[in-house]
Amino acid sequence: MGEIKVEPSVITREFDAPRQLVFDAWTQVKHLNNWMFPMPGCTCEYVNAEIKDGGTSLHKITMQNGHEMWLFTQYEEVNSPEKLVFLQYMSNENGDILPSPHMPNWPKHMLATLLFEEISENKTKITFYWEPRNPTPEEVEAFESTRADHGKGWGAGMEQLHNYLSSL
Amino acid sequence: MTRMARAKTTYDVFSAIGEPKRRELIEKLIINEMTVNELVEATDWPQPVVSKHLRVLKEVRLVSERKQGRYRFYQVKSEELRPIQEWIHQFEKYWGGTLDQLDHYLTEIQTKQNSNNRSKKLWVKLKSNLQ
Repeated sequence: MGEIKVEPSVITREFDAPRQLVFDAWTQVKHLNNWMFPMPGCTCEYVNAEIKDGGTSLHKITMQNGHEMWLFTQYEEVNSPEKLVFLQYMSNENGDILPSPHMPNWPKHMLATLLFEEISENKTKITFYWEPRNPTPEEVEAFESTRADHGKGWGAGMEQLHNYLSSL
Repeated sequence: MTRMARAKTTYDVFSAIGEPKRRELIEKLIINEMTVNELVEATDWPQPVVSKHLRVLKEVRLVSERKQGRYRFYQVKSEELRPIQEWIHQFEKYWGGTLDQLDHYLTEIQTKQNSNNRSKKLWVKLKSNLQ
């Protein structure tokens, strides 16, 4: 059976901090609550977390407008301080994974792989891969449609839409 | 009624906004409630083109219609855009933004640590001076 090959989306980023600290920031709740949200003004609360191989966590992100988002994470590999692999899902407050009624084809299983690389004593590089796991052809299409290079025409209007949506 | 031997396209929010012309309509309708004629004028597209894409946006309920006299006004429905908000936050937006937060946090705690160390050193120096 042919598995569908999908090119993962990738972000690389360098941080002025030792590798162990950067890794701990991803795996310890006392750190995570302080930064695990997509924009300033949000808050984050991990209601449970067992961040180890085979463990899970559930956290809530509260937007500035009060809109809440729950994320359920399933950890596959927690290899301090080099590698972190997890699947992440939109969920409700009980950690039940939500189907996406408006996005029927969005990949069910999104896999994140993070590599932590020591550049120097106080500089760490993260390479972050994001890809669907065992996607159907329809899921591949949905995933591909969200890539930045498929977003031509989303220029300034996109920013506006983004700002508008953020203000809801 | 005869139909072309072609599977009916079903749209979801994704496929609806996958088309650049429909994104342009959304962008226009976010700013103002508009009629088809106003959209034709604003986009400079033939009316059937505007109507065709508008129909798809209505079908996935991204756009709502309001009748007033003989005019129909179209508007983006913010509630239905929530999934797109989440979608927009996928990867580059979502995780890029999250990594920004991590960067701020790491800077903050390390600065605090340094200043704590500095004040500790100052305190030790002060104490030794006093003795």
